Amino acid sequence: MPVKILSVDDSKTIRMLVAKAFRPYDATVLEAGNGEEGLAVAAREKPDLIILDVTMPVMDGVTMLTKLKENAELKHIPVVMLTAESGRDNVMHIARLGARDYLVKPFKEDQLIGKVSRIVSLQPRAGTPAPAS
Amino acid sequence: MATLDYKELAAKYGLEPIPDSVTRLTQLLAKQDAELEDIARVVTADPELTVRLLRVANPRATSDDEFTIETVEEALMRTGVGCVLLLAMGVPLTTAIIKTFQTMAGIQLQNVHPRSVAPIKGEHVCGSIGFSGKAEGRVELRMALPVARRVAGAVLGVDPQELQDPHAVSDTIGELLNIVTGNFKSNLCDAGLNCRIEPPKVTIASEVTPLSGPVGGVERMAFRGPGVEVFVTMVVNPWAGLSVRAHAPANPPGA
Repeated sequence: MPVKILSVDDSKTIRMLVAKAFRPYDATVLEAGNGEEGLAVAAREKPDLIILDVTMPVMDGVTMLTKLKENAELKHIPVVMLTAESGRDNVMHIARLGARDYLVKPFKEDQLIGKVSRIVSLQPRAGTPAPAS
Repeated sequence: MATLDYKELAAKYGLEPIPDSVTRLTQLLAKQDAELEDIARVVTADPELTVRLLRVANPRATSDDEFTIETVEEALMRTGVGCVLLLAMGVPLTTAIIKTFQTMAGIQLQNVHPRSVAPIKGEHVCGSIGFSGKAEGRVELRMALPVARRVAGAVLGVDPQELQDPHAVSDTIGELLNIVTGNFKSNLCDAGLNCRIEPPKVTIASEVTPLSGPVGGVERMAFRGPGVEVFVTMVVNPWAGLSVRAHAPANPPGA
């Protein structure tokens, strides 16, 4: 059973990079362009983990995280923040809301994989070369 | 988690602290009676900031060897201390630019004297992002179209020739700018200059037009890497949220 990961970011570039990072693994990457879409996809697909940006149009990542943690069916889903915002107040606020981990952009694929693999078990995709560790 | 300690969180998340010079200058300049010597001491302790202040104080110099104003104290008297806060803000901006291009695109940029790089002519990509609050301003990033395509290709891991869709190039350059400005904004907030950023705007421009923004200082920067030249302009009103009017020159250099 592939790990189901939801990438919520308004940048198509970042969503592409996240999808690319997990390509060597037995993982399905779902995408959403803002917090509102992210909540809808999370409710429908029940991902194993969410990778969440902060600054987005329509609904930002902090609001999405708040709503996620208020929802009894979704609050257990671990969230890794992936954002350029690393200010002290933001980090403290987001940690209090219950984000599991925080990765500051710019980021390398292996940093993202490292953070995610500490939360969910990533197995190499069958028939692909072993990912660089 | 019962109590949260920021240092523990920063260590756990691998977050980098704000440059010491920015914090110390912000604190010093927030005091009405900051002494020039104290400010000069903070600037001198930061070699990169010192060089950039001397560049602003020596506007005619085309290289760092041609400085006629050679000390930080002289430079501060010429430019005004408000200017040095603008420049201090440029330190995290420069760091963010170099780190973003290195990490996301594998391109090692070097901050060079802006006059040592031939200006952009013709069609190019222009990304712009504004911030407002206790610090107000705008950051603009420009690069020639083939350079933008090369950078976007490096970020996405594809051959630049395959990137014929201008939206893919724009989105990637916009995201790089977003990352740079997000890092920069975080540093400003940590220095006590709380502000918000706008979404980036990326356009294909045919000519370089002066950057519009709030009244304040302008710093132009240039970065060079293998086959890549990037121009960055920062317009900041560094005294938007600080009581440094008494020290600020009426017309900040470059304004």
